[in-house]
Amino acid sequence: MSEAELQLRPGEVVLRDATRWFNVRADNARTLKGMLLGRRVSGPPPVPALQGVSLRIERGETVGIVGRNGAGKTSTLRVLAGIVPLQAGTGGCGGRTISLLELGAGFSRDFSGRENIYLQGALYGLSRAELEPRVEQIVAFSELEGFIDVPVKTYSAGMMLRLGFSIAAHLEADVLLIDEVLAVGDEGFQRKCLRRISEQIAAGVTLVLVSHDAGAIERVCDRVVVLDAGRVEFDGPTAEGLLHYHRLMGTERGGGESLRPAGDRALHVLDVELRDSAGRTSAVFPSGAPLQVIVALRARRPVTDPVLALELRAQDGTRVYRTTHRFELDADGTAQLAFEVSALNLLGGDYDLALGAGHGAEAALAERTIRFSVAREEGPEGIVALDGSWRSMPAAEKRA
Amino acid sequence: MARYRYLFRQLVSRELRRKYKGSRLGVLWYLVNPLVLLAAYTLMFGHVLKVQSFPDYPIFLMIGIVVWTFFQQSLLASSESLIDQGPLVRKARFPREAIPASSVTVQLITFLAILALLLPVALALRDSVAPALLLLPVVVALLFCFALGCGLIVSVMHAYFRDVAPIVAAALLPWFFLTPIFYQPSTLPFAQQHAWVETLLAWVNPIAPFVEATRSILYSGTAPGWGVLVYIVCIAAATLGAGALVFRRMEGELAVVV
Repeated sequence: MSEAELQLRPGEVVLRDATRWFNVRADNARTLKGMLLGRRVSGPPPVPALQGVSLRIERGETVGIVGRNGAGKTSTLRVLAGIVPLQAGTGGCGGRTISLLELGAGFSRDFSGRENIYLQGALYGLSRAELEPRVEQIVAFSELEGFIDVPVKTYSAGMMLRLGFSIAAHLEADVLLIDEVLAVGDEGFQRKCLRRISEQIAAGVTLVLVSHDAGAIERVCDRVVVLDAGRVEFDGPTAEGLLHYHRLMGTERGGGESLRPAGDRALHVLDVELRDSAGRTSAVFPSGAPLQVIVALRARRPVTDPVLALELRAQDGTRVYRTTHRFELDADGTAQLAFEVSALNLLGGDYDLALGAGHGAEAALAERTIRFSVAREEGPEGIVALDGSWRSMPAAEKRA
Repeated sequence: MARYRYLFRQLVSRELRRKYKGSRLGVLWYLVNPLVLLAAYTLMFGHVLKVQSFPDYPIFLMIGIVVWTFFQQSLLASSESLIDQGPLVRKARFPREAIPASSVTVQLITFLAILALLLPVALALRDSVAPALLLLPVVVALLFCFALGCGLIVSVMHAYFRDVAPIVAAALLPWFFLTPIFYQPSTLPFAQQHAWVETLLAWVNPIAPFVEATRSILYSGTAPGWGVLVYIVCIAAATLGAGALVFRRMEGELAVVV
């Protein structure tokens, strides 16, 4: 169970057939009386969190763990951090492992931010002399100068994250384990965190990141592990891993159903779905692959001349493509349309697809927006994948 | 283990400051409470309900109360300690023994401070400055080991079974009266008629020999008997060993249960 047993080098992370389950009962704490009386524990059976997970991560690798809620992502991190023991199998991290799993964990609420920096450092076995030179860096990075000497209990969630991340990022970890918590930070701080993480990666830190933000994973991680129901579903390169993950999510999500009230428009878009070449719902597509947009519409009262507008925008709002289509409604006032693209000639990045319906004089305003990503690849950058190639020109063709 | 020394120091100093943070007297409250208790007990058992009379009865009584208060507060403080420090337990893998150990250490510091106040008074009034005084640090160290062993067991048990702390708190009350604090088993009239009562009071209760040893050094100015010394060495070693073993065995799931 210990890293001594596994002989791990600093920065190495290993799980071998890791298995762990949890009791999920409202009264988590057992009572001595209950045990002495031999009372049978009633309630739901233990929930498996990890069922034979095996992973091997080398020093300097950056791995994103994705999966549904309850797939075992956080359990994996807690096991790796050595906080929760395994019931079967072995695992651990080599060297100094620093985790950022739970907001507020490791903080003592009655003490100031500064005192908590020393406490958290000490939790990882650092001495006062080792911590002192880092404290000012940590305070500066967290941008909490004005609040660093007030008790942590007065902090907002965002401030706790700022302090927690700043501490974790400045203790010279060999392995960094980071859970969803980054999502609490504002956009500016999140960007700053990702930048700091990439600096640490450059310095040879091993990173294991759990996130639902495919963008963050794509920017930071070389490798993605998809977990489902406590098992490894996929383990490999990021682009492929995210495709796998979106497929996994798509099977139960079925596109983007509108949750907004329809307003007083006579005709509106009910549902938009993006499908890949195999007809599966997806949100990430390889460049040049086929794409199908399925749109369901409904009219609340009879309309004449219904029209649907589809617009594709790049991240900065640039209109990449726009098309309108006149169509006929079925007898029950609904319609389903498919827009088929044989080859998605876009380069890697995030795109928004806006749809809107109108009729007669009523304009087709963008009503629904669905975001999708095109997997980043080595090579050209920009928006449009031109089918271009370079060659050297022979002398005969040279211009005079 | 050694690299967590700074953590332990911080846990102790934080615990000392936390309780009375923002109060005027601050850490002095740690002394005020036991001193008020001492005064009340002296009044009750020394004057109102005279159980037994000894010369300089307040000194006799105080020695017992100081030893008892240290033991009792150590158990009470360590029983809740792991739950109180849950955020730390859920954060990292560090030797979790540091948490109950720091609670008991805080009580030791209070105990030593009160002892420092009591010592000159006892030595002056009882004229008990003698070579036996050199044994006092040994007895205190053994008492600390005993309390730490109990604290380790109680703290980890309470994390899993939340009725341990109330059981301990309830048991401490009768235990107080069964401990020779305001009487001495050998001179108790009832015990003189029934020898087994004396044996029971003096030897079955593990805290009694510690009271007896401290009292013979400070009150009588004589070294504790060999029987008492051997007893406290054995009980301190056995309790600390058992505490460490139970804690090791049970600490695995702490982050899940606290």
